Amino acid sequence: MSANGAVWGRVRSRLRAFPERLAVCGAEAAAYGRCVQASTAPGGRLSKDFCAREFEALRSCFAAAAKKTLEGGC
Amino acid sequence: MLRPAGLWRLCRLSWAARVPAENLGRRDVTSGVSPRGSTSPRTLNIFDRDLKRKQKNWAAQQPEPTKFDYLKEEVGSRIADRVYDIPRNFPLALDLGCGRGYIAQYLNKETIGKFFQADIAENALKNSLETEIPTVSVLADEEFLPFRENTFDLVVSSLSLHWVNDLPRALEQIHYILKPDGVFIGAMFGGDTLYELRCSLQLAETEREGGFSPHISPFTAVNDLGHLLGRAGFNTLTVDTDEIQVNYPGMFELMEDLQGMGESNCSWNRKALLHRDTMLAAAAVYREMYRNEDGSVPATYQIYYMIGWKYHESQARPAERGSATVSFGELGKINNLMPQGNKSQ
Repeated sequence: MSANGAVWGRVRSRLRAFPERLAVCGAEAAAYGRCVQASTAPGGRLSKDFCAREFEALRSCFAAAAKKTLEGGC
Repeated sequence: MLRPAGLWRLCRLSWAARVPAENLGRRDVTSGVSPRGSTSPRTLNIFDRDLKRKQKNWAAQQPEPTKFDYLKEEVGSRIADRVYDIPRNFPLALDLGCGRGYIAQYLNKETIGKFFQADIAENALKNSLETEIPTVSVLADEEFLPFRENTFDLVVSSLSLHWVNDLPRALEQIHYILKPDGVFIGAMFGGDTLYELRCSLQLAETEREGGFSPHISPFTAVNDLGHLLGRAGFNTLTVDTDEIQVNYPGMFELMEDLQGMGESNCSWNRKALLHRDTMLAAAAVYREMYRNEDGSVPATYQIYYMIGWKYHESQARPAERGSATVSFGELGKINNLMPQGNKSQ
């Protein structure tokens, strides 16, 4: 960590905003979670990008929520 | 750093010869780092003890230290209950990996005469909680205890043994420093702890990155615990398990609390980076797979409590083979047998 911890502090504050942005994207998160959970059923195999579509939807919703809060405040 | 390292190795080799205390104290300078060419072939080096000390120091000097104490307070009070269950007083006791002294605050002067608090993090010892028992703070690593044989009547350890590298050796040392008829009461995290977090991270990392690396440290299984205690020389073992479930708003809050408790990962094979995408995916999976009705997510902490005694002639021993006077077949007539005072063990 640097002397005044500026970078660490900045990264941490960005991370602290994650939960509220995730709360905004509840539906997309649930869809992604269901897709991953389905792969854990007997006979399913989880491979890379198995649920890529759902994750893209979640990520774009998350980015939109981030932009909204950025424009909204701080 | 050559001279202290050489002295330290000398101290380790003459362990059996009871090296005087002032030389043993020097161990702390190089403690936490296992020598590469170690004397014992079974020495494991899973955790970076130096990093664990830094993490605990950081956790102990946070602005609100009590915010993350809830789990350790709870387990500390349950260990104090077990100490009270034993109808004895302990003139000299040791708390290994005490943190801020969560057990001492629940015990009283009559039960414990003098309490030694040992931890690897000096900030934790500096901010220790109030207790009426006279205490001595010692900066010591759980694997390299600077105490003589047959010193303590009671050794307690709450939620710190899951970070030691060589658990068999740590238990053997605890057995060594106990007096005959002394008791060791410990609590450590068990196999199912944080399984929700482990599974979520595993699934998310596999889906996002194609493979996964361990983020939760490996825990001891309950069978192994019994064997380890037996191998260390303890008698009359008792191991029982308890599950504490804590609800969090989400995965990020859980991880923040774990860091605040000083329980961040410090294994050598940890991945240095956890991608934001993976964290996001894991939080989504955690919420979907494990959430409660009210929207919170649970985290399970499985605690194993163990009690072991150091051998003394006065302790009860199993009866001799063939000395039974009553057979199990007569169990139905136990009412007739009992007034005679003729109970078989």
